[in-house]
Amino acid sequence: MRVQEPNRAAVETRDHARVTSVLMVGVGGQGILMVSKVLATLCQNAGMEVKQSEVHGMAKRGGAVFSHIRFGPEVHSPLIPEGEADVLLALEWAEGLRWLHYLRPGEGVFISDVRRIVPPFACRNRGRGVTPEYARATPAEIIGRLGTGYALDATGIARGLGNERTANTVLLGVLSTALAFPEEAWIEVISRVVPAETLEINRAAFLAGRAWVAEATVPEEEASPVTADPLLARITHRLEITRAWCKGCDICVKFCPERCLVLDEEQIALLAEPEACTGCRLCEWLCPDFAIRLHKEVPAPGASTSPETTSGTAGCDR
Amino acid sequence: MNEIALTSADRFDIRDWLRLEMFPHFLCPGCGHGLALRAFLWAVHELGIDRDALAVISGIGCAGRLSAYVDANTFHVTHGRPLAFATGLKLARPDLTVVVITGDGDGLAIGGNHLIHACRRNLDLTCLLLNNEVYGMTGGQVSPTTAAERYTTTTPAGNCEPGFDACKLAEGAGATFVGREATLQVPTLKNLIREAIAHKGFSFVEVISDCTEIFGRKNALGNSPEMVLRQKAGMRPDNWGNKVDRPFRPNPFPTGVFVRKTRPEYLELYEAMTAAARREERD
Amino acid sequence: MTAHLRNLQGNAACALGAIAAGCRFYAGYPITPSSEIAEWMAAELPRVGGIFVQMEDEIASMAAVIGASLGGMKAMTATSGPGFSLKQENLGYAVMAEVPCVIVDVMRGGPSTGMPTRPSQADVMQARWGTHGDHPSLVLAPHSVAEIYSETIRAFGLAERLRTPVVLLYDETLGHLIETIATEPPPPEALLERKWAEGPRREYRPYAAGEDLVPAMARPGDGHRAHTTGLTHDETGFPTQDPERVARLLDRLLGKLEHHRALIEKVDRVETEDAELLIVAIGIAARAAKAAVGALRRQGVKAGLFRPVTLWPFPEEGFRSAVATAKTVLVPEMNAGQLVLEIERLAPAGVTVHRLGRYDGEPIAPEEIVAAARELVR
Repeated sequence: MRVQEPNRAAVETRDHARVTSVLMVGVGGQGILMVSKVLATLCQNAGMEVKQSEVHGMAKRGGAVFSHIRFGPEVHSPLIPEGEADVLLALEWAEGLRWLHYLRPGEGVFISDVRRIVPPFACRNRGRGVTPEYARATPAEIIGRLGTGYALDATGIARGLGNERTANTVLLGVLSTALAFPEEAWIEVISRVVPAETLEINRAAFLAGRAWVAEATVPEEEASPVTADPLLARITHRLEITRAWCKGCDICVKFCPERCLVLDEEQIALLAEPEACTGCRLCEWLCPDFAIRLHKEVPAPGASTSPETTSGTAGCDR
Repeated sequence: MNEIALTSADRFDIRDWLRLEMFPHFLCPGCGHGLALRAFLWAVHELGIDRDALAVISGIGCAGRLSAYVDANTFHVTHGRPLAFATGLKLARPDLTVVVITGDGDGLAIGGNHLIHACRRNLDLTCLLLNNEVYGMTGGQVSPTTAAERYTTTTPAGNCEPGFDACKLAEGAGATFVGREATLQVPTLKNLIREAIAHKGFSFVEVISDCTEIFGRKNALGNSPEMVLRQKAGMRPDNWGNKVDRPFRPNPFPTGVFVRKTRPEYLELYEAMTAAARREERD
Repeated sequence: MTAHLRNLQGNAACALGAIAAGCRFYAGYPITPSSEIAEWMAAELPRVGGIFVQMEDEIASMAAVIGASLGGMKAMTATSGPGFSLKQENLGYAVMAEVPCVIVDVMRGGPSTGMPTRPSQADVMQARWGTHGDHPSLVLAPHSVAEIYSETIRAFGLAERLRTPVVLLYDETLGHLIETIATEPPPPEALLERKWAEGPRREYRPYAAGEDLVPAMARPGDGHRAHTTGLTHDETGFPTQDPERVARLLDRLLGKLEHHRALIEKVDRVETEDAELLIVAIGIAARAAKAAVGALRRQGVKAGLFRPVTLWPFPEEGFRSAVATAKTVLVPEMNAGQLVLEIERLAPAGVTVHRLGRYDGEPIAPEEIVAAARELVR
């Protein structure tokens, strides 16, 4: 899905004469550190000074991971100040949104996988009723506010190649079109960083990312946010509770990050606040009675969609 | 494009794998075994195994009853013996994916010997041992994995035996794949079971489950959600074992894959070693 | 196939008979005096594409045999008294879940470890009532190496056809006796085979039986996806405690062997037509009894032998006709009196029943039977 045409002229003339800041974000296990290492090595090989700073403490539990990379003839601070990132590379959609204010207004390039990962425990401590607004924003809405943005189903592309874990390399391919390093230099570094047995698929993933950008270049008039195809935003979800199976153990009620489930007067789970349900599936997964099922509904290709359906509806099948 | 947008979790509807006429199931409210069954069936779904080619064998106890709910070839056998039944079935029918569901009493007490030798033999079976620290079906007696000092109906003054580390037993007996995960981590547990089933040779997975109604009450471990949450405090991935915060939790149960090694699978070895005899003309 | 004349030990004949019957799976655990069956199977099974496995204990070997049979293979195990005791729980499972299999019990002196290398016939009642609960038993008791071969083949046929465990019961003496026999595998069409479930899954009920009371068995992989349990179940295969359904299951299980008595029963009679003294014996004791009948006839005593080759269910009609002319029945057996209990139950009024027991690890000699018989007819 191409959302907005990249500002090619701006990208290609970027000469790295000044400090370039790339912020990479995602959740644990996606391979952020691997792509960071590729970029840092690439810069180093090009004779530039590189500073890299990362946080990855919660990796195993699906927590946030980010990596600041700054390079140029001379770099002092390892951290990117807010509003000064030239590129924000997000391996996960919500994480990308969380860091948007770091992008250089009007100039920064936003590259993100549209896949949403809702780590079950990452948001358990959020206050009741706090609307997770970022999770509702469609790629079209977001990209529309930015200078240059790419929102793509990198995970889907990677899966199509045979290994969805190479989604990070697909995004690296997209990133490579925004920086002035030659293609061969990227591939050379990638082949040194990735495990030998995954070399071929990573090369394919990198090229697929670059190819996606090339194909995504469509005439300006078709590229408005209104006619874009924000697929994920069009997926709706519906929570089905099989009352006869529920034994009222209360696990779904207590574990729901949005506190949108309650036990009714018969001690049976009830979706009391359907509009608060994000479809994270925690209740489905932790229901020992198999009484909860989250249905995701994907409209047929080309089906028209109204703005109302993009926010995700939840209904309770009683 | 739409297909790509759906994840494994979207495509997996556990009800496709259940005998719906058997529901609601007989497990107590909040019983962890339901979560274990979900993770198992999700793993089977992801592996693309045909339900006609899946055999589930379980013994006696709460865990033993799970096989009846699975829409596959299912066998509910005698107490402690599912691994022995499974050995016969798999040897006769190597084309089937044979998974054993057992419990801590079934698999480690009355059936402990079969577990040891199944590990050693390395026939291509998967054993899911659902450990809830108690004999739930019979009313809450002490089991081989009940932690020391816990109260049960047969340890009214507290358990004076230490609990059993089933994974270490399996490793010591030579199992080629050994792992442990808690029911709280459903997707992680699913991944572990998926790898165990895909493993060629004997694979052992200990699932840390909860007996909320009997063991939980007897030991004042809180309600169902509290017991499930306690798993988070009590478990940790094994690769955290040497981290600096370890002193704050002196007795965490490690989780993850502990053994992953290659050794010739029993039936392949048997066929190779008897190949000469197989070629002989019978006199 | 041509018949081979071979000198074979009883246990070897058992193994070869099993293979001739189509047995392709053996799981066992070493125990005297049955271990030679396992050794023969270990060598022979691979040659016919079968599987031999030595399990970790007697219980596991019984379980593995049932598992293999559930998978569709003809399967067997062999043991002796102590191991037979250990197998009883799973044997009961095979009865309840109706899983065909053959269990050989080569009897040795007991109780407990007893005399591993000495013969006995003290498992007659364990073979009948060994597992708990009301259950039918199908037990065959051969008395020669040739009969061990043929009865092993028959045991598989009955097990498969009737979906039941079949016990082959003989003693240490026969197990280790070497005789010249003709091993002629029966043609495949002569073998009784299992009835497999066919047709659509929707209409299949795993434990619904027709007039022959034997339900068609679901073979894993054929698409029926049945549930098998040792719990009391109804026709769907799922557990039930509904009194009516429970009774219906047990009625059928107990009635199944009764219904097929004509197929199951086999007796051997020697000069019973006019016998006034009827000797009833099985196994090695029956061989002594046969010699005794000849000796007694030469001495003018109208003696005859009734030998139940099918021991359980006891061939009641065969016995009744054999005992019709008798005034006295003598039951020589190598135990403290087990078979005699059934004879006492069945003997018509006016017929006296006596036993000749021996449990010192020595077989009963013909002279002992002759002496006891002469004492009775004096």
